[in-house]
Amino acid sequence: MNKMPEIVLFFLAKIKKLALYFKKKKKMKEIMMVYYMEAKSARISGRKVAWITSGGPVEPLIAMDVIPVYPENHGAMIGASKMGTELCEKSESMGYSSDLCSYARSDIACATVNGGPIGGLPRPDMLVCCNNICGTVLKWYEVQARYFNVPLFIFDTPFCHTGYAEEVQRYVRRQLDEYVLFLEKECGRKMDSDHLKAVGKLSLEGQRLWQAVLATTANSPAPMTAFDAFYHLALIVTLRGTPLVIDYYTQLLEKMKDRVARGIGAIPNENYRLLWDNIPIWPRTRWLSEKLASHNACLVADTYTSAWCGTTKYIDENNFFDSMAEAYTRIYLNIGVDEMARVVLEMVDKYRVDGIVMHSNRSCKPYSLGQYDIQKIVEKERGIPCLIIEADMVDERSFSESQVSTRIDAFMEIIKQRKGA
Amino acid sequence: MAEGKIRGTRVIFTGYNAEQAGTKVYEELLKELGIEKSDIRRVVSTGYGRNSVKFMDKAMTEIICHGAGAHYLNPRARSVIDIGGQDSKAIVLDEKGKVKNFAMNDKCAAGTGRFLEVMARALEVDLDGFGALSLRAGDPSRISSLCTVFAESEVVSLISKGEKRENIIAGIHESIAARIAAMANRLRIAPLVVMTGGVAKNIGVVKALERKIGMAVEVSEYAQVNGAIGAAFLATGLK
Amino acid sequence: MKQRDEFYEILKDPGSYGRKMKEQGRKIVGYFCSYTPEEIIYAAGALPYRIFGTGENIHFADAHFQSYCCSLVRGALEGALAGNLDFLDGAVFPHTCDSIQRLSDIWRMNVKGPFHVDVVLPVKLDTDSARAYMIDVLKKFRNDLASHLRVQITDDKLKNAIKTFNTIRGSLKRLYELKAEHPGIISGSDLYAVVKASMIMDRDHILEILPAVIEELEKKKENAKLSAGKRIVLAGGVCNHPDIYRIIEDAGGVVVWDDFCTGSRYFEGSVKDDADPIAAIAGRFMTRPVCPAKHAGIFTRGENLLRIAKEKEARGVVFFFLKFCDPHAFDYPYMKEFLDREGIPSMMLEVEDQLPSEGQLRTRFETFVDML
Repeated sequence: MNKMPEIVLFFLAKIKKLALYFKKKKKMKEIMMVYYMEAKSARISGRKVAWITSGGPVEPLIAMDVIPVYPENHGAMIGASKMGTELCEKSESMGYSSDLCSYARSDIACATVNGGPIGGLPRPDMLVCCNNICGTVLKWYEVQARYFNVPLFIFDTPFCHTGYAEEVQRYVRRQLDEYVLFLEKECGRKMDSDHLKAVGKLSLEGQRLWQAVLATTANSPAPMTAFDAFYHLALIVTLRGTPLVIDYYTQLLEKMKDRVARGIGAIPNENYRLLWDNIPIWPRTRWLSEKLASHNACLVADTYTSAWCGTTKYIDENNFFDSMAEAYTRIYLNIGVDEMARVVLEMVDKYRVDGIVMHSNRSCKPYSLGQYDIQKIVEKERGIPCLIIEADMVDERSFSESQVSTRIDAFMEIIKQRKGA
Repeated sequence: MAEGKIRGTRVIFTGYNAEQAGTKVYEELLKELGIEKSDIRRVVSTGYGRNSVKFMDKAMTEIICHGAGAHYLNPRARSVIDIGGQDSKAIVLDEKGKVKNFAMNDKCAAGTGRFLEVMARALEVDLDGFGALSLRAGDPSRISSLCTVFAESEVVSLISKGEKRENIIAGIHESIAARIAAMANRLRIAPLVVMTGGVAKNIGVVKALERKIGMAVEVSEYAQVNGAIGAAFLATGLK
Repeated sequence: MKQRDEFYEILKDPGSYGRKMKEQGRKIVGYFCSYTPEEIIYAAGALPYRIFGTGENIHFADAHFQSYCCSLVRGALEGALAGNLDFLDGAVFPHTCDSIQRLSDIWRMNVKGPFHVDVVLPVKLDTDSARAYMIDVLKKFRNDLASHLRVQITDDKLKNAIKTFNTIRGSLKRLYELKAEHPGIISGSDLYAVVKASMIMDRDHILEILPAVIEELEKKKENAKLSAGKRIVLAGGVCNHPDIYRIIEDAGGVVVWDDFCTGSRYFEGSVKDDADPIAAIAGRFMTRPVCPAKHAGIFTRGENLLRIAKEKEARGVVFFFLKFCDPHAFDYPYMKEFLDREGIPSMMLEVEDQLPSEGQLRTRFETFVDML
């Protein structure tokens, strides 16, 4: 790497300049573009790339200057670009059942053909798999470990059915040390614990800012919708622990506060306020948004985006590293259905919603199995209707437009009736 | 079959009673060809009703028979794709016509002839005309549903949006071809690919399938009776 | 097999066996997974009773589980909500997969009566910290169970339980070995019946009668005719479908071994005679052939299946999965590739609680056996 060809240095400089330009612009699209560009040119710039699960502990990676890449975020991009069906079909021809998670299917196929909207993800130097979100990621990352022949670290966060046990804390805390050792080995240098502390502080601040941004939609009219939140979510997921995240959400929060002060709503007539549950139907977010707006209904909040600021209460500001164990274990998908129902009821109250739209997502069993019970609890405890939409987050073949449209219409009729439209 | 050559074939609707249908088609064919039952040396039966044929000497699965039939009709055949009324199969053969690997879809209507029947009804088009019409399509519609029933409602939506019939039919063909191709690709089929079963008569599906698997697909004039031909061929080999 | 009737009685209506045991004053503890520490349940004086789904149509469970959930989980909840499992004193849920995880929650929220214990074992089985955690979890389970059943679970009782289960497992393995050597001496469904019954029957009783079953087979093998069946190994998770053995045999094959949760993974591995019985039980779970919902290396399962196929001289392997079983479906492509590379033919069958029509199964198995 001592004598890099001039042409490469030239392009690296261009990328750096572009990066600075776009970072100043602070628009999500540009920021993500730079982020992926840097990840794809990591080999040239001498940095390592780690693939990590969306619920995984990213702060140590940031502290070691490893670029974190998120196959799930990429999966969302694939879904949003409507490229999911083709990639899922490819994975099925590789022998993977069509009943498996569509993020996993598209990613596994994508890796072999460098498909998707950005020509594929950059090769990982290592894989970090945290199973707090589901057991599928374990299998998915095993597949990729075999395919790429790179080291795999599994961060095993035991499921918390009814509480957080001390043996779980011991186990997860020990694994944090194992994780650091793993990274030190892969990167060939020691972790700088001061830097890690600083990253931890930034991570917590970022999460709190994101929480504040989401809380602005408790106002009526809501200054942004859940669809906007799905879009703005990318940074807290991918670059948690960096200053960029603080800048972006600080700006966004100001913008939202300003809109609240001036009574500007995200949709022209916010007559009905709704809560969304589960991962978005990525290929159809615009359709859904327009469909609901046509009923003067606004999705003001959702359980998905709030998951990335849901465990701030377990984080000790002055001891980020130790408290990561609990914060990463007790996330929304790693707790019992009854506890999830309590969170949903809290959100129903905080955001004063008239109804809930639940995406029964074929691809995500931990999120979807239990929805029927949560629906029953909400209907009993708050008396508001819950609509269930059967679809998939990436695979359009499981989305039936006329059926979903009819259901939404019927659901809105009920809400209008109840509210005395 | 006699001396390695096909003497005659006959197709009838099976209906409710497989045993009766088997006997009927056998007797009708023999009568048509002027052959006595006593002249027949060996009978091999195949298909779901193969074990209910009383006069057979051996029953063999349609997968084995389709393989043998395809090999008999074209010894260069290495892969067989059979789309019947109620199921579809992909078969990989060795150079002797023996089955090396196979995959079946017998759980889901999408990917079988039934899918096309349902769509023909929805479009009020004669199923026989599907092939020719689809070849005139300028821009095949996208039909993405995995399920036949929901695909039908997609088609109904397209009709009401004013989409051209030719384009819709082409889209239907793309859909069924995609399902078949997925099954075939799992098996890693290789040329020469032949297609058998009733749906092979639909040139639109054949062309769509060729595009999806990236290989030429041959269809013999005997496509619909390929399984029976294979059974007859295997019978000649029985002691 | 002399005891055949006894085994088949239990399989025909396991619920009524459970009820009978309950009437005799036994405590019955239900479970779903081979990672359940049965030794601890037995040491508590209770009967570990494995639940296999329902075989009936689903009514009640549909209100709690979407259709894209496996039929083992749906069927288990169905049985409970229909009142068929009223005789259970408790249910134990070791962590297995995402679906069982949610079954535990939904069961806890909706099935009244029996006590409910989660045993959240580690997903990783190849590190020291995982072993330490597993021991912690098992210790906790011992305390929870003792408190629910109001008994003492002493180290001596545990050591006795370990001996009992080691013996039962050893006997089941011996039966499998005898069948592998002389496939004709016992039918696939009969062997299946013995193994399944051993997950339900009073463990002292099964301990008693297994040696007689073995003895009978040892005698038979003296005059055993050579089996003409083509040797096949089955691979998958929970197999609740004894009919497939008959259909395979009718098609000209014979099952000589399996890599099933309800088959060899249930009895492989022995618990060591350690000073700490809990650590010893953990030791077996860490090392026995691994379930796909756990992690013990990225090639382990494929290598294990290949070893089985070669050792038992199998002509082919049939992968037998429940539809919607994610862990098995993710492992299938690479495991198949391992077999392909060695020229071992395989086929894959995905089923729900109700098997597909016999005609469809015959077609597949006859074709496959012909291929071998």
